[in-house]
Amino acid sequence: MKMLATIAWRNVWRSRGRSLVVIGSIVVGIWALIFMLGFMNGFMISYINGAIRNEISHIQIHEANFKEDPNIGFVMPGGMDLAESLASDPRIQAVSPRSVTGGMISSPRKSSGGRIFGIIPDRERLVTQHDSLITEGSYFKSDLKNPIVIGKELANTLKVKLNSKVVLTFQDRENNLVAGAFRVAGMLETTSPQINKASAYILMEDLTRIAGLKDGVHEIALLLENPESETVVLPELRSAHPDLLIESWREIAPELELFLSMTDSFLWVLIGIIMIALIFGIINTMLMAVLERYRELGMLMAIGMNKWRIFMMIVIETIFLSLVGGPIGILIALITMYWLGLQGIDLSAYSEGLREFGYSSILYPYIENSTYAYVATGVIITALLGALYPAYKAVQLNPTEALHTV
Amino acid sequence: METVTDKKIVIETRDIAKVYQDSKIAVQALRDVDLEISEGEFTAIVGPSGSGKTTLLNIIGGLDNPTSGTIRVAGRDISKLKDSERIDFRLHNIGFVFQQYNLIPVLTARENVEFIMLLQKIPVHEMKARSLHLLEEVGLKEKANVRPSELSGGQQQRVAVIRALASRPKFILADEPTANLDSASAANLLDMMARMNQEEGMTFIFSTHDQRVIDKARRVVTLEDGIIKSDEIRS
Ligand SMILES: Nc1ncnc2c1ncn2[C@@H]1O[C@H](COP(=O)(O)OP(=O)(O)OP(=O)(O)O)[C@@H](O)[C@H]1O
Ligand SMILES: [Mg+2]
Repeated sequence: MKMLATIAWRNVWRSRGRSLVVIGSIVVGIWALIFMLGFMNGFMISYINGAIRNEISHIQIHEANFKEDPNIGFVMPGGMDLAESLASDPRIQAVSPRSVTGGMISSPRKSSGGRIFGIIPDRERLVTQHDSLITEGSYFKSDLKNPIVIGKELANTLKVKLNSKVVLTFQDRENNLVAGAFRVAGMLETTSPQINKASAYILMEDLTRIAGLKDGVHEIALLLENPESETVVLPELRSAHPDLLIESWREIAPELELFLSMTDSFLWVLIGIIMIALIFGIINTMLMAVLERYRELGMLMAIGMNKWRIFMMIVIETIFLSLVGGPIGILIALITMYWLGLQGIDLSAYSEGLREFGYSSILYPYIENSTYAYVATGVIITALLGALYPAYKAVQLNPTEALHTV
Repeated sequence: METVTDKKIVIETRDIAKVYQDSKIAVQALRDVDLEISEGEFTAIVGPSGSGKTTLLNIIGGLDNPTSGTIRVAGRDISKLKDSERIDFRLHNIGFVFQQYNLIPVLTARENVEFIMLLQKIPVHEMKARSLHLLEEVGLKEKANVRPSELSGGQQQRVAVIRALASRPKFILADEPTANLDSASAANLLDMMARMNQEEGMTFIFSTHDQRVIDKARRVVTLEDGIIKSDEIRS
């Protein structure tokens, strides 16, 4: 076996150029694979984190009927107190109680339907960080009476500027239309089209006053200290409040999970394509090596090297190729990922389009460490598969004929 | 017929015929070949090109099967062996020297000599000792760690012969071992083979066209059109 390994290793360096081509393609294959995985991962994480951090948060609580029928009457009794008590739970990072209703947002020139949130800004900004996403004006800091913060695109649709007046119209609990005038205090730009195009934020007290509600909490959004604690916190909350609808982000936005799994299958396709390309590269090269050494292999069989050893010699040679290429590829990929993880990839050139879909413009590729091991194993298995056919060809040869070919 | 004083017969062919059936044309490469070769012989198989020398050697060496007839080597009917058994049989019983491409290019002269012994699983110290001794014997001691590409054709053939010898086979088959050598190297190789034949008592069977090589043989079997034309033993 040691002799086989010696021969195989020296054979690797026998036609240096060809081996380097294979090693190079293994390096590029691994690098491309890891880069794509990291890129997609980064994409997904940024998308999901964006959705969680700026829109959905980890857990939302509603009155049991509110989701089916978002009537302004379905408030949570004692909602404020519940919000207060949740805020003192150390596992929960931030809590924002909201009043929510659907309505019309109108400027003198246009109007648009949307969701109206009545919030407590100092609580809300800790959950959705909207104060950091203000592009014009401020986040409820001015002394304007009846301030409203709306999405940037909505402002464009309504053709309003800062300080412009907008009127909100919605139904109170008796289904009477009520309205209130607000002044645009700030404009918001997030990764969520829903927020950018169709959401308005006003003070909770303003909303409840206009709607004539006393206790006006429809929704409590929770941000967890550690996202993994969801599995503990969620059931706990549910058993403590069986009358309320308590959902995690997965239930609120099932499309995120769908997106995750779609990206996953897309990745498998990519991995498959790269591996198949690698397999064919290896088959081609090793087949050439076998044909080139036809007489030599014939001689080896004639003098008593058995088929198993011939087979293994070719397989070992291929494994050596991947063992040289593999670590180099992984090293280069590691360095690239580390650097890009710090640096980020600036996609702002394309980000107009991307933002439409909810991506932020700087992407941080990310790869779990175990992925490197998977990729390395995958490449070695690929090399092995690629070696099988050439090795089989080598074994099939007939020594007398092989020795006769000139 | 066998008497106690007779040398042990290592190869015995009976009515061997070989027909190559290539597409439509059938070529009768050998017919009615009866040959007995005893231990320690130094035999040349000669004949014009196409007379069947290589075919005969391949059959004796278990690389090919006769179309009819039987061949016994060291008492075994080798045409009845399975492929894998045949390879193993060659490994332990027959040493081959071909016209060219004998050596493994990526191994040094010494590693090449040791290669078959390694396959035979001979203990390392014994293997090293044998390979060094043989390399010294044929004057290639200082070339021990050199790869075949740095050896002359004659030196390569000498390495091939001692590789065959080192594995202690029942006999050594050499198909035109001198065909690619100049006459000095050819003579040198033949002298070396003759010496090994004397010293080690090794049986040699080799094919050749070369008259000067034929002159060194102690038995000359002449083939013509696949038939043994003459078989002379010289003293
Ligand atoms: N694999 C093969 N297929 C078909 N015919 C073959 C094959 N090998 C040999 N022959 C034919 O068998 C006959 C004997 O060939 P062989 O190679 O044994 O001759 P040889 O005496 O070794 O010739 P040379 O001196 O040229 O090496 C020739 O007519 C040859 O064409
Ligand atoms: Mg021949």
